[in-house]
This record gives sequence, structure tokens and C-alpha cells, in this order.
Amino acid sequence: MPVFVEDPAQFSKPRLKSELIAHNVTLPAVESKKQVYVELYLKHIVQKSAADFSSDEEDDDVVEVQDSQDFEEEKDPEMLDPSVLTDEELKTTLLKYGVEAGPIVATTRSIYERKLQRLLKPAQPRQNGGTGDADQYSDSEGDEESVSQQGSPETVSLMEENLHVDIRFESRIPLSSSGPEIKRGNNRSNNQGPRPRPYWQEVATVDKYTMTNRSLFVTPKTSLFKRQIKEPVTDVLMEMFPETEPTPTGIAATRRRPIKGAAGRPVQFKYPDLPASPMTLQRWAVEHRLVPLWVQILVFFIVACLLYLIYAAMEDSLANPFVTLLDNLSMETETEGLSLQAEP
Amino acid sequence: MSSTSQKHKEFVAEPMGEKLVNALAGIGEVLGKRLEEKGFDKAYVVLGQFLVLKKDEELFRDWLKDTCGANVKQQGDCYGCLREWCDSFLLFQFVLCQRKTYQHGPFI
Repeated sequence: MPVFVEDPAQFSKPRLKSELIAHNVTLPAVESKKQVYVELYLKHIVQKSAADFSSDEEDDDVVEVQDSQDFEEEKDPEMLDPSVLTDEELKTTLLKYGVEAGPIVATTRSIYERKLQRLLKPAQPRQNGGTGDADQYSDSEGDEESVSQQGSPETVSLMEENLHVDIRFESRIPLSSSGPEIKRGNNRSNNQGPRPRPYWQEVATVDKYTMTNRSLFVTPKTSLFKRQIKEPVTDVLMEMFPETEPTPTGIAATRRRPIKGAAGRPVQFKYPDLPASPMTLQRWAVEHRLVPLWVQILVFFIVACLLYLIYAAMEDSLANPFVTLLDNLSMETETEGLSLQAEP
Repeated sequence: MSSTSQKHKEFVAEPMGEKLVNALAGIGEVLGKRLEEKGFDKAYVVLGQFLVLKKDEELFRDWLKDTCGANVKQQGDCYGCLREWCDSFLLFQFVLCQRKTYQHGPFI
């Protein structure tokens, strides 16, 4: 009696989902936990397999093979419904299609889901020729694809570089919305740095090859429109700051005078030529004397030497007063001595 | 061929501060009211959404259409307006924060 060896709890969530879908079981709410899926799986699928006893062995093999190949969620693409993906899964799936998605939060989620839907749609077989122009904008493998679809290879190669990711999405737009909205793609493509001139002509030539011409009429107008939006930008800035050099991106940031006394900008740095405090005034006065210091000292020494020389040159030098006193005393004793000798 | 509107020029000429959503190019009374109902009462909130969408045109247009039902022209006007404002002021303030000393005058 064959028994199911694998444990549904070990399956990944999308795996469980796809299993449920395969067995025509209605999926629970998007945010429900894996356990819910497991329970549903067990309830419905185990029942089914119980009823389907004879083909048990086949099922076993199939299921086991699938199990061994099963990796983490990201490898298992949700071809059906972006809204069942978690934020992370949505982001990685978009990344697979080359879309670098920003944060997926409440307000952005629906937008990204719709984008993913648009990306997924052409993966399914086409309905009308209206989708033909989609492939004309695709890159790299665009040549072969477009030939097989509509046969306009020239348009692809020139647009490859600039319009890589964006055009691919814009090409999906005709499927879901009306013609005029194709403008968007061209607008955005035009915003990517220098717009390639032949793009216009390309757009015109594409007309011949497409079955639906409606979307492409609008592009030239919007290219102009966008260009005119761009031009005033540079004009205004150039008027205000005529001395700035042109930068490749056209964006030139200029500094404004910072607000006096604002964070990290104390007032004295703002006005260096007007020292505010008395301390700085004094310091300034000391540092900026009229005559340099060394000159003053030199003059002092010269004057001192002169005075000494004058003193030394005097004939009756003042000498030592004690010397003169001793001399006087010795003279007196001499005179006394003489007088004593003279009397006897 | 229409060039940028007066509203656009006014908006892009200075930091948006506390301007209402009606000040955005392409957003008139009706759309402004719808946006306010959704909670986007000031222009900077819409700017926030614009930045969260990484200034991507397609996504922002989609979002605008979803939120207030703007038509293609209005979407384009609003997008252009915000993008230009960012070009002028977003990077500008970033540069300003980096500088501390001040060797030469205000014009490089």
C-alpha cells in the first residue's frame, strides 16, 4: 500500500498554492499563513488521492520529483496572479524582468502589481496584431522576435542602449490601455539623457510595419513637448547663474549663502573681516604692530651700547665711590704720617 | 505647442514649503479635492509619493491616475512639475549640507 511520504508542511507556500490551483481548490486570502495552505492541501488533495487509488504510484513519483526540485519561493514564478505574492516575492519577480522596484509599501504595491501583470501578459499567446508593436521596442533578442512578429529590425538596435528596460514596459501598454498612453514610454525614453535624433525617424518607419498605427502618431508631439519642458530648465538656471559651467547631465547645483548663525556656521566664520569680540580685536592689534618686534629689540640694544660707550669715554669717570673714599683715607694717613715725622 | 504653464513655472521657482496640492501643475480643484480626500493634502506629500516611486514616470502616472483619476495631460504636467522641482531643489539641498567652510563667494 503506497503511502505519501512527503510532508506538505515542508512545501513552500507558492508550491502549495500551485498545488491547490492544480486541484481546483479556491485559494485562501492573500495574507494567510502557510498553515492554512497546508491544511487546505491536506484536506483536498489527500482526499483526492485517496479516491484516486490506482494512480497513486504515478502521483508519488511526480510529487517526489517535484519536491526535490523545489527551491525557495523566488525560483517559482507566479504566472497567474501578482496579488498573491508577498512584497519580497513581488520585488524579486520584478527584478527578474529587469525592473528595479522601489520600496513596496501600501501605496506602491498596487502599482507594482499592475506593472508585473503587464510584464506577464505578453508571455501568454497574443490575441490581436495590436500587440505587434510591442516587440519592436524590445531589445537584444528584438531582432528575431520582431521579424517573426512584424519584421522591423532597424528600430531595435538603435534604441537598445537608452531604452532598455523602459521601452519593454511601455510596449505592454497598448494591451491594457488606450493609444495615447504610449506617449509615456516615449516621454520617459526621451528623458534619458541625450535623445537620439534618429528616434523620430525610427518611429515613423515603424508605422509601415505595424498593424496598428494609432499609437505612434502621438509620439513626435510629446517628444517636442518634453524637450520644451527641458529647455526652460536650463534657461532659468543660466539666467540666474550665468557663470556656471554646463554639466553633462544639465543639472548644476549652486551654493546659496548659508543662513547666518545656522547649524555649524557660527557668525565669525560668516564675516571674517569684522571680528566681533574684543579679544579678537586685541589679538589683532598685538599681531599687527606698526614696527616689527625684532626691529624694536635691535634698536634697544644699539641705544644701550651707545650709552655705555659714552660712559666709558668720560675722563673723570665716576668710577667706584668706595675707591675714592679709600684714596682719601690713604692720603690722610700719609699726611698724618708726614706731619708726625715733621714735629719731633 | 504648449510649453510649461504659468503654474508650473511658479511651482518650480521656489521650495514648495507648505503649498497645497492645488499648486502642482496639472492638479486643479477637482483633482486636488480627490487627493486631499485620500490624505495627500499638501504638495510635499505628493512629492513623497513621487520619491518613493523613485521618480519613475510610468509608475507615478499610474499612481496619479489611480488616486485621483488624472488624465494623460494632467499626469504629464504633474510629473514634469515635480521632476523639475526635484532637479532644482532636491540635489541643491543635498549639496548645501555637505559644505561646511566657505572659501569663495556664493557663486562658484
